Amino acid sequence: MKRIRRILIANRGEIAVRIIRTCRELGIATVAVYSDADRGALHVRLADEAYPIGPAPARESYLAGERIVAVGTRTGCDAVHPGYGFLSENADFAALVADAGLAFVGPPTAVQRALGEKTSARRLAKAAGVAIAEGSDALADEPAARAAAERIGYPVLLKPAGGGGGKGMRIVRGPDELALAWRGATGEAGSAFGVAALFVERYLEHARHVEMQIFADTHGNIVWLGERDCSIQRRQQKLVEETPGPAVSDELRARLGASAVAIARAAGYVNAGTAEFLVDQDGRAVFLEMNTRLQVEHPITELATGLDLVALQLRVAQGEALPFTQDAVERRGAAIELRITAEDPSAGFLPSAGRVSLFREPAGPGVRVDHALFAGSPVPTEYDPLLAKLVCWGPTREVALARARRAVRETIVAGVPTSLPFHARTLVEPDFASGRYDTGYVASHWPPPAPLELDDDAAVAAGIVAVLTRASRAPAHGERNGQSRWDTAAREDALR
Amino acid sequence: MRYEVTLGGRRLRVERDPSGALTVDDRVRAVDATQIARDLWTVTLDGRSVEVAVLTRDPLRLWVSGDEVAAEVANERELALGGATRGTGAARQEIRAPMPGLLKALHVREGDRVERGASLATLEAMKMENELRAPDGGTVSRIAVAAGAKVEGGALLLVLTP
Repeated sequence: MKRIRRILIANRGEIAVRIIRTCRELGIATVAVYSDADRGALHVRLADEAYPIGPAPARESYLAGERIVAVGTRTGCDAVHPGYGFLSENADFAALVADAGLAFVGPPTAVQRALGEKTSARRLAKAAGVAIAEGSDALADEPAARAAAERIGYPVLLKPAGGGGGKGMRIVRGPDELALAWRGATGEAGSAFGVAALFVERYLEHARHVEMQIFADTHGNIVWLGERDCSIQRRQQKLVEETPGPAVSDELRARLGASAVAIARAAGYVNAGTAEFLVDQDGRAVFLEMNTRLQVEHPITELATGLDLVALQLRVAQGEALPFTQDAVERRGAAIELRITAEDPSAGFLPSAGRVSLFREPAGPGVRVDHALFAGSPVPTEYDPLLAKLVCWGPTREVALARARRAVRETIVAGVPTSLPFHARTLVEPDFASGRYDTGYVASHWPPPAPLELDDDAAVAAGIVAVLTRASRAPAHGERNGQSRWDTAAREDALR
Repeated sequence: MRYEVTLGGRRLRVERDPSGALTVDDRVRAVDATQIARDLWTVTLDGRSVEVAVLTRDPLRLWVSGDEVAAEVANERELALGGATRGTGAARQEIRAPMPGLLKALHVREGDRVERGASLATLEAMKMENELRAPDGGTVSRIAVAAGAKVEGGALLLVLTP
């Protein structure tokens, strides 16, 4: 395979920026694509070249595979990196890329098809000797779902067989909830992935969502790099991930690693992949699915292993062997990722759109922030609400959490409600702090029982700024200190 | 000038006399407030340093050294008007679309009584279905948009009256 010299990045936001960074370091030229909503976006500005691909709706831009491949061909790219989401797990897109003579940074089309369809991935895992969650094959209609749910026993999870990222999933707790869930999940799965097929799986309460990162090259080498506990989720969307998993023993880690490698070997896997498992309180693990792409939360594995997973992906995509063996993989310390999303935790995590008016990024020892934000950056309604990923590393979990606590409190994102208040409270919540949590954590701990109380001085300061801000709806002129603002406030209030 | 500021569940009386002296809840405070950027202030209070950012203006939300809080300000005139403009919870509530999207479903009809937290409507936006819930109990006195409609952010959806 030939060396990658110029690459098209078929994505937007923080992940496009993150990929551009590694490419720059490796001397690979980068070609960005953007929708009308992303004209001024950071990934457009950081790339060497950038081309428009259509209107804001993803279907007409970031999901328009042919248009994207045409840009790649026209600009002389020799590879396409799909990032995560959008077309990253779309085998038809991977085939389109391959047919155009470009290298797809991900597994081959056949592997994507076999693992991307979740019921087929389950069959493959079972054949490889890995335990799977009790579940059904793809279901034709609602009565078939009902029959399968009765057989497995409620609660069940109704899941789209295509796609990923937890979108379109529904927990169904009893027969009376099935009809509504079926309709909702069919609609969401169809609009997000273009494939409406659903299946049901037994829903395990009080289980942890633990995933294992693997890497495979085209020479038959497969390694596992370590787990990530992603149990802090709401509506199947991850909010916090950490490694090592607080409940993962060395024995369980080795077992998950071996299972993930067995599935990868059986599938003929190449490039980065993540096997997702549910682990119950007794340490029993069942395989859920394989994500055939780079994960959102890959940075915590990078911080713990010292590896650059995007660089590894590119090496594998140009036919190189993995530069290390399993024995050489070292994991050090602990890392945690907090997803800063444009969602309001005080209103049931309702997503919000708008414009970021102010952004202050945290920094300092052990802190990494992957984002595509700037003061004035729009938050379009068309895409995922992820704004930034705050990733902290420490030699121990305690230190990583201490860094995360202070970094969260350093971060300012103004203009749209964000998940930051959730993170600030969760990081100090005793169950989370001691690592005692499962996938039910957010539902049982949020919103917290007592509302936040500012201390007296903080309240006085806030009160003063509230008064001064009210007086400054018009842009400030000249003097910018508080005293003149008081005068403005008094004048305006006299006229009101 | 005298103001009353509501911060979350707390109320503060902020007064400034013509000499510039500042009193908060009848206590004179040595305050230094400097505006760093349009939405960022640094305040020192008798030496204690507090950073305050304006997250949103309408409604007013503040970031206070890492914590977020909703704020409301009333001046003397508004205070004098009293309950007429600033209700004590017994006010008409307008339910508006928090963002542009598709109003997938309405779960209530005009005249329905709803409890606090009841699901009123489903708004599809950002590829997710979002339940809009009643911030307080009340009666649905008006429905302004039909199910299936595309709505702009801030569009009035329905009105609850106590």
